Amino acid sequence: MGLVEKGVFGKKPLKPVTWLLNYSRKYSLWMFQWGLACCAIEMGAALASPRYDMMRLGVIPFPASPRQADLVVISGTVTDKMAPAIKRLYEQMPDPKYVISMGSCANCGGPYWDSYSVTKGVDQVIPVDIYIPGCPPRPEALLEAIVMLQERIQNEGLGNDELAQRWRGEHVVVDNAYMAARV
Amino acid sequence: MTSTETPGFEVDPALYSNLAGSQVNVELDTGDMILNLGPQHPATHGTLRLVVRLDGERVVAADPVIGYMHRGYEKLSEFRTYPQITTLINRIDWLSSFANEVPFVHGAEQLMGIEAPPRAQWIRTILTELSRIATIYLFLGEMGLQVGALTPAFWGFRDRELVLNLIESATGGRFHPNFNRIGGLKDDLPWGWIAECRTTMDKILRGCDDFEDVLVGNEIFEARTRGIGIIPGELGAAYGVSGANLRASGIDWDLRRDGKPYLAYPELDFKVWTHSDGDSFARYWVRLQETREAVRMVIQLLDGLPAGPIMAKVPRIIKVPEGEVWVETENPLGQMGYYIVSKGATGPFRVKIRSASFSNVSILPWLLRGVYVPDVITIMGSLYFILGDIDR
Amino acid sequence: MADETPDTPDTPDASADDAVTDASAVAVEEVPAIDPAVAALFERFEAALGDGVVDHADSFGTLVVRVKPDAWKRAAEVARADLDCDYLSFISGIDWMPAPKPAGDEGGDTSAPVQPDTMTFGVTGSDGRLQVFAHVQSTTRHWGVTIKTDVADPAPTVDSWVSVYPGADWHERECWEMYGVDFSGHPKIRHLYLPGEFEGNPLRKDFALLAREVKPWPGLVDVEPMPGDDTEEGDS
Ligand code: SF4
Repeated sequence: MGLVEKGVFGKKPLKPVTWLLNYSRKYSLWMFQWGLACCAIEMGAALASPRYDMMRLGVIPFPASPRQADLVVISGTVTDKMAPAIKRLYEQMPDPKYVISMGSCANCGGPYWDSYSVTKGVDQVIPVDIYIPGCPPRPEALLEAIVMLQERIQNEGLGNDELAQRWRGEHVVVDNAYMAARV
Repeated sequence: MTSTETPGFEVDPALYSNLAGSQVNVELDTGDMILNLGPQHPATHGTLRLVVRLDGERVVAADPVIGYMHRGYEKLSEFRTYPQITTLINRIDWLSSFANEVPFVHGAEQLMGIEAPPRAQWIRTILTELSRIATIYLFLGEMGLQVGALTPAFWGFRDRELVLNLIESATGGRFHPNFNRIGGLKDDLPWGWIAECRTTMDKILRGCDDFEDVLVGNEIFEARTRGIGIIPGELGAAYGVSGANLRASGIDWDLRRDGKPYLAYPELDFKVWTHSDGDSFARYWVRLQETREAVRMVIQLLDGLPAGPIMAKVPRIIKVPEGEVWVETENPLGQMGYYIVSKGATGPFRVKIRSASFSNVSILPWLLRGVYVPDVITIMGSLYFILGDIDR
Repeated sequence: MADETPDTPDTPDASADDAVTDASAVAVEEVPAIDPAVAALFERFEAALGDGVVDHADSFGTLVVRVKPDAWKRAAEVARADLDCDYLSFISGIDWMPAPKPAGDEGGDTSAPVQPDTMTFGVTGSDGRLQVFAHVQSTTRHWGVTIKTDVADPAPTVDSWVSVYPGADWHERECWEMYGVDFSGHPKIRHLYLPGEFEGNPLRKDFALLAREVKPWPGLVDVEPMPGDDTEEGDS
């Protein structure tokens, strides 16, 4: 996305180009799976078991390193000992990057809400785009989250100010009118 | 944060004799290199960090750094009531959640002096064995992954879904059922479940045959696992290695048969498989046989399932009388035990959780000395640990 | 045996449910007659360890022996040599002190179970607040024994078992981290679970869970109305 970053489009992004870029982006998500606990098994089931087969949604698992990934799925319990590693991983990922927090533990601490060693929510460490509730969420829920993320990516603006906003970690504003026009 | 040196055990040096030749060739000595595996690594689901010091390709010292998954179960248990704790301990060994509940509930029942009715005991046994299958099945597939064979891993996930479906239809949860109640079970089996279970067991047996065809006897697999990572039985026991890992080292000890009688195991006819080699291959082989044995047990249990209630008479608010009890069961990963100290309240005063993987992995510093780097992964895979079970 | 265990301490009854149940009266452990197998096992143990033994009990078919602190390591050697207990199950600690801020006080945590606020010491008693206990088993004879010993409260120290059971390494590191019990003779005691900068010994009873202090769990009492219920303003 180098062109976009440097502001070739200036203030007014070209809608068709944006659409095309986003369309390509959303179907080639390199997903780094940060499996931490029980939820990791459900994520593994979503990835590896023939019944769910996440790759058909355009998600490419097992990138060689986080520097190659567009999306990280934090699935499971985040402990205070683990949190620095997660932050470092997130910083290594190239922009634009997305985070899915899978499971109650990653969302808010889940069953370990009162523990002395569990971080109560991964969003204290890194910004999160999609939360998946459940303990554990079913693999279908992860697929749903991917679809929601793809929708969000599709509707992202690529203008400079819009991207800057995205990088501030705020929520991307979904352009409803645009979505309606697309349908 | 972590020191990279391994503590030297003061055990008799004879145990370390096979490490004497770790400096093979002085001229080619490349100087030590510290390699850091993890904390997140595709080969370990969960987060075990392993710091190894290498001389060339050979591991000089290994230091597992655990605790990335430490959630403080023992402390949290002191702040919860007995029924709440069953929810919590589901998540210790997350692949065989049902089997985790059983010893705890059993311990509380012993303290209260109640006993679950026979039908509940049998259903518990069935579900324990099903979760054993679901756990080990993943191992049977993943072990192929460790040596580069992808196909078995997909089979493992595919057929495991069938077992998870069974567990889900009986308990409502794919792998955190929280189905045990003190004094029995929440529900009876659903209609048609038994027939469904039988067909699934057939498929599992066939799946085991597939694994055996593809891996056992496969040249690559044998070359990568035979003679690799040998645990001597006596040392394994002193480290607290349990379950199939210990039986693969020739120690014929299975709590289902040898421990204090629990569940319906005394009434079952089953064989405890052992292997004399103690290497990675033996661990794979023993687990493969155990899966088949578990299928046999499930069939026996389905045949003899007694009728009757599934819940004993239990007061509405559970207060456990004062006392201490140690319960242990043979879980898919090894010996799982709870030392419950009660002071007559609605929650326990102290719960010591003895989980299998913790001890199974504590042998790694000894086991990894002198092996080659690629074998580190197969050895760790063959020990088969669950991170939550190590860190609790 | 169990000479200093008082009768069932009167539980401060905070959950006003006295009419609902009297579960604690179901089966109070009345110092059960010792099982002959357990008694025979204890005889073997006592014959080998001599006067290191302080007390013993049969807790639901498991032999529990309390030994003197200076006999702690010898107890392991005896268990290994004379009782064929070749398998180390676990080593851990226990803090008998009642938690200093019992639930149900003004403010604070109301959801945790209420424990008696007198100090009692389990089946074999204890001299002080802290104890170390371990369970060893025999893979050939299929028996097991739980061994306990008292440790001093400030600066607790006890001998390490690493030279008897190499697996004691991690268990002792855990116990050191959780209770602050030092194991003399352990090759290198350091943090096992927690990051190095962690302060406190989490399993000691006076270690409070901050999350509970800050925001007590609402408990089973007040259940929020579901979104679909007829509330004033349905701002779903
Ligand atoms: S949310 Fe539940 S299933 Fe997921 S990691 Fe946490 S405890 Fe495990």
